[in-house]
Amino acid sequence: MGLEQVYWTLPIVAYPYISGLIAGSFIVGSLSKVFGQKQYEPLAKLSLLVTFAFILFAPVGPLADAQQPSRWWELFTRPHLPSAPMGLFTMIWTAYLLLVLVEMYLAFRVDFCQLAAVETGWRARLYRVLALGSTDTSEQRQAKEHTWLVGLAGVGIFLAFAFHGYIGFIFGAIKARPLWHNALMMPMFITSAILSGIALMIVVYTLVFRYFSREQRVDANLTSGLMKIMLWVMFVDVFFDIVDVLNSAPAAYANAATSQGFAQVFLHGPLTGAFWFGQIGLLVLALILALLPKVRRSPSAASLTSLLVLVSVFFMRYNVVIGGQLQAKASQGLVLYTPALLGRGSVQVVFGMFMLILFVFLVVMNVFPWDDGALRQRLASGNRPGVTEKPVNAAGR
Amino acid sequence: MAENERPAQEKEGRTPDRRGFLKKALTLGGVLGAAGAFGALGIGKALAAGRAGEESQPGGMLQADGEALTWQGYADPNLNKGDGWQDWSRLLNPAKLPIYHDNFAQIKAARPKHHWVLVVDLRKCTGCQSCVVACKSENNIPVGNYRTWVDVGQVGKTVAAAGGDVVTDEGSYVQEVKVRNIPKLCNHCDNPPCVTVCPVKATFKRADGPVLVDPRLCIGCGTCVNACPYDARYLNPISHTADKCTLCVERIDAGLLPACVTTCVGRARVFGDLLDPKSEVSQLLAHYPAEVRKPEIGTKPQVFYIGLNGELATADNPASQRLIYTYTMNTNSTAYQKLNSPRK
Repeated sequence: MGLEQVYWTLPIVAYPYISGLIAGSFIVGSLSKVFGQKQYEPLAKLSLLVTFAFILFAPVGPLADAQQPSRWWELFTRPHLPSAPMGLFTMIWTAYLLLVLVEMYLAFRVDFCQLAAVETGWRARLYRVLALGSTDTSEQRQAKEHTWLVGLAGVGIFLAFAFHGYIGFIFGAIKARPLWHNALMMPMFITSAILSGIALMIVVYTLVFRYFSREQRVDANLTSGLMKIMLWVMFVDVFFDIVDVLNSAPAAYANAATSQGFAQVFLHGPLTGAFWFGQIGLLVLALILALLPKVRRSPSAASLTSLLVLVSVFFMRYNVVIGGQLQAKASQGLVLYTPALLGRGSVQVVFGMFMLILFVFLVVMNVFPWDDGALRQRLASGNRPGVTEKPVNAAGR
Repeated sequence: MAENERPAQEKEGRTPDRRGFLKKALTLGGVLGAAGAFGALGIGKALAAGRAGEESQPGGMLQADGEALTWQGYADPNLNKGDGWQDWSRLLNPAKLPIYHDNFAQIKAARPKHHWVLVVDLRKCTGCQSCVVACKSENNIPVGNYRTWVDVGQVGKTVAAAGGDVVTDEGSYVQEVKVRNIPKLCNHCDNPPCVTVCPVKATFKRADGPVLVDPRLCIGCGTCVNACPYDARYLNPISHTADKCTLCVERIDAGLLPACVTTCVGRARVFGDLLDPKSEVSQLLAHYPAEVRKPEIGTKPQVFYIGLNGELATADNPASQRLIYTYTMNTNSTAYQKLNSPRK
């Protein structure tokens, strides 16, 4: 020992956050396929792209926090299965990434084939490569693929639970940290993952469809439907928070280390505000807002509510990851921690991760035909010479 | 709904086109991409820090993670490599004993020849900290980290008493105070949670007892450091891997005692083979009641304490155990901050 430190810093806070957004957005995207909710069809393709952009960066958090990230390949060549939570996470992540890639291929293959036929030059080549040389757009094959798509989405929902549940387990498995060693960790992480994923999809859908789609129109029924689902998930999340507080705070019920740690860190400690206002307060505020039909029906108000949810979930991740490590294991008092602005484990790293995610998302958004309206227009006009392009439309709002 | 479905452009007399959209998206992407590159520099820096071998800088005791680049005068972690101190295949397990990453219950069935344990006889510990110094120089531990340390604490209180020997203007007192010195180190648990959580099987328990880390395999993720209930592990700021007490494995393989045992002035630390009934540790444990630290966690520690008060075996309780700040104490804590402010 020596200096007790917060060993897992901000990238590890971002890691379950990003993973939660993946799990949640994937489930939202599967609503139309697996649960037959056809009104969410416009989201299906977009949410796949969101899932893809985030899933690439899910393991970057722990790797950026690790001291020897160049040895990442050991996670595949000598995984500690099934004992180590992080070892199994690597396997689940790999399976999930492959599944998302296959799902993306199946969802966009027909579009790629059609686009490759109408486009010319490098665009045609690009779409031919993305379609992996396939040109078959027959109804029969599409029907077959749709079955596969639905099946994969079902497996994907299972994997989303495993994926995020296992991140909860990475913390829950560590009995040396009384505030982590909690059976609630897995369900809490899964619920907040779905919650943050829905919130993210509301924000992304509103922004993308309002400013970047061909019709520049946001379907208020769709956001309001998502808000209703989110409302129920919020109830569950608040319920888990209450259970967690009841489970950890009262000295009479919780074990000594847990209740002392909870009191030191969250009742009158450095994270009191982050817990009661950031995590619980914002969530309850969002819950109250989501209860108002007026807020649910306006996409902008729904997006603002979703932003509150996203911030609240980030606070939850921070409180779990950092709060658990503030409790000293071998010395007295609380461990001191101030997030660094620059360098290892800092705000800069997390900011960079999110910017890279946004960058990847913008790239795939420009390549993949997620917007059905624009796709129809492209298929009709193509990119053939002779078809004059209309004057540039910059603002469009 | 009907009026909503009319595209926004038509109102302004403009038609949407893909080039405009692409231009917009790419401009936004460019700005955000530049911001992302800035952030990526941070990631790159963090990744590159894994191989930093910078010039040593004069530093104090208090160095945060990543800053502690001084190593007691050894700026170069590869210094004197020819001596073989980095020959890990020879150092960690020369006899090729079986090693275990989980299922530690199998160790007993494999009938190992030895089972090395450490017995700390607290009745004899004077709190001189020479074991700390011996460990640091034997194993070249970076500044600010310790594989073993001695917590010095006061237990008890000063109470008013008529005929007390502490006489002040306010009255006389008796000091019902004991000083407890508790040497702490890795317990080389028979059920080590730190080994089970390692994602890459870099840390292992050798059949004869020691829990070791192979620094060639460790990815430095810090899971084991968090998983150890005794805070016996740390992330070595020079090698950038998890590091811990090895029971001086290279010494015991050569038939020597661990450095801390050799140097202990009061012979409080006793090392030996628990499978040998004639060994000093077996005799001590047979004759005196022994305690382990944090028995409630179920790690089965293999460092036994004679004379460890039950309350001290678990988490430190500031109400009953007032720590005296020696140089091995955690200064990165709120408790240390309060030292400088007047106590109430």
